[in-house]
Amino acid sequence: MSKMPDPTLVADVGAYAAAVDGWCATRPPALAAAVRPIPDYATRVEVMSDLLGALFDAGWSRYGWPETLGGLGGSILHRGAMWQTLAAHGVASMAVFEHLEVLLPTLAALGPTDFVADALPAFLSGRERWAQGFSEPDAGSDLAALRTRAVLDGDAYRITGRKIWTSWAKYGTWCLVLARTGTTESRHRGLTAFVVDLRHPGVEVRAIEQANGTDELAEVTFDDVPVPATRIVGDLDGGWKVAMHILSHERGTYAWFRQCFMYRDLIGHVADGPAVSDRAVGDALCDIAAVAATSGEGLRLHASGATLGPRATITKLLLCEAERSIQDAVLAGNADLALAPLDDTTALLRQEYLFSRIVTVYGGSQQMQLETIAKQLLELP
Amino acid sequence: MSEPRSRDHDEFLAAARAAVAGSTGADALDALGWWDLLGMLDDPDARAATFALFRAHGRELGDTPALGALAAAPYFATDDGTRTVMAFSRPATGGGFAHTLLGTPVTERILVDTGAAAPVLVEAAEVTLTPVAVPGRLTIHAVTVAEGAGIPVTPADGLEAARARSAFLARVAAAYEILGAAEGAFALAIDHANGRVQFGQPIGTFQAVRHLLAWAVTDTRAVESVTDVARDLDVAAPPRFDEIVKALAGRNGRRACERSLQVLGAIGFTAELDHHHFHSRVLALDAVAGTSAELATALGAWVRAERPDPRIAPAVLSA
Repeated sequence: MSKMPDPTLVADVGAYAAAVDGWCATRPPALAAAVRPIPDYATRVEVMSDLLGALFDAGWSRYGWPETLGGLGGSILHRGAMWQTLAAHGVASMAVFEHLEVLLPTLAALGPTDFVADALPAFLSGRERWAQGFSEPDAGSDLAALRTRAVLDGDAYRITGRKIWTSWAKYGTWCLVLARTGTTESRHRGLTAFVVDLRHPGVEVRAIEQANGTDELAEVTFDDVPVPATRIVGDLDGGWKVAMHILSHERGTYAWFRQCFMYRDLIGHVADGPAVSDRAVGDALCDIAAVAATSGEGLRLHASGATLGPRATITKLLLCEAERSIQDAVLAGNADLALAPLDDTTALLRQEYLFSRIVTVYGGSQQMQLETIAKQLLELP
Repeated sequence: MSEPRSRDHDEFLAAARAAVAGSTGADALDALGWWDLLGMLDDPDARAATFALFRAHGRELGDTPALGALAAAPYFATDDGTRTVMAFSRPATGGGFAHTLLGTPVTERILVDTGAAAPVLVEAAEVTLTPVAVPGRLTIHAVTVAEGAGIPVTPADGLEAARARSAFLARVAAAYEILGAAEGAFALAIDHANGRVQFGQPIGTFQAVRHLLAWAVTDTRAVESVTDVARDLDVAAPPRFDEIVKALAGRNGRRACERSLQVLGAIGFTAELDHHHFHSRVLALDAVAGTSAELATALGAWVRAERPDPRIAPAVLSA
């Protein structure tokens, strides 16, 4: 934590990227471990946590975050460059650390400063991990219908309710929970975002085994769990704004980080497929470029203090299209992923192929994204 | 991009739309002082203004020889005041090459470069121009060049550099024109969705129609975004990025027109509505400087053979 920022690297993203590249080229053991195909998710989490620890100790993952919160300064462009460089050196995904680019920007912008100043370095270094508790059994696309309640009791809120599709809860330390602090009728105006300690008594996490064999999602029950009022993110009853801030990243800028790995899949797994046409490979390259360009615009906007807003939905649609076109080609070139995923590489390909069939659901179903565009961007009746 | 830059781009586009909508041929280009910009393409603002013309061209169905003029510029070191346009060449069905001139011909000299032989400059009197009648409100001529006509052109920076720069400029400009035309088709569909009443309500209230339109705007936003990156990065763009831009523009431009047509229904497939002009404009531009099918196929073969690194670096995004 005592490392001082290098002003040159803060000011020059290109120089920073070159420095990270130089570090990767020395093949640190944590990086070498992370580039191997690891189908077992729990092992992958451990290996990626170690890589995050090494990146933090070397200082690289601290660039892109404010010094006041334990970072070394710079912007989201630094983060975009770091993950792009890691992907170029063979890292296959952000595995369990996607929330560094989904939740953490919102925590840094709207979270309680004292808490985030401790939590951000702990997350960046892989020591702690985060989950996102939005959806409920009866509140999926209709998020504003959620019923998990937070009731003030002295200087703490007591949270009771049930969340589902809670990402990475099994592996998480903290969960950002959207709970109702107003009446049911208040809909989106009566919601507040809380940071809940998943280790606290009264929290029960049931991991959900997914169709691709991983257990990234969970059902989480909160039974009268006390949360200090100091752990509210944003304002009381301002949870919708927090949720929209997160979704701007989840649907918009996150696509930048995801597309970094798509080039790797295209070059590494698509290009060899004999049953895949040159045209399909070229089209996939175009799809990736569309994601890179729109999400890159999001990175620039966020770096300058603006946000993508509802335009992030367009980036998410393009990301889904790219995921599908690349993974269609992966399947076409790798029949073993359906019949005989016996080696680690093929087993991982199978996981990723199957996951590409559900990317149109996370972060708001594709149909909801299309409605958002129709209503907010096109202003249709 | 920063807000002030975005405002500048909006102003360039508004000025270009007004000029293109208000006059045709060289007059529109003269009104903008557009020819002067061709010597200043290293300047980001001049480049942005130069390209804005093409988006306006598509959106307003303008008819100028700008695309051929832009494509010809890299072949000549200095502007001697003589306006040269390039005819776009492609392999002809029966062998040899077919040459196409886009826009109202206003020039004394035509550059012909098939890529298979040295480029030549021919005087207008040395060629036969055969009008091609397709919708799109774009004057198109098939160019027949007499054997042995013209004088060879030797670009100052070397032929390959001139060809590469010409292709880059033409592809990015054509992508902008496709974008503008697709936006024109899309605007008609939006009007229709808001105004056409069926089952007692505007058809824009029906989810099936809303989603078609949302996909169409997604198609065009993708084109806008990659084309803006090419404009802004220019020579710093990743390798073969102009081909990616043009392939995506042709593919997505057609998709956006098709989705818009579906929203419009039968009226969109008539001469009574401009949709067919926008659609035909997209088809014409897709066929220039490499079709989306040709380019995507070539890009795929390139990825396979060379395993290139076509990433856009965040460092250049911040420039």
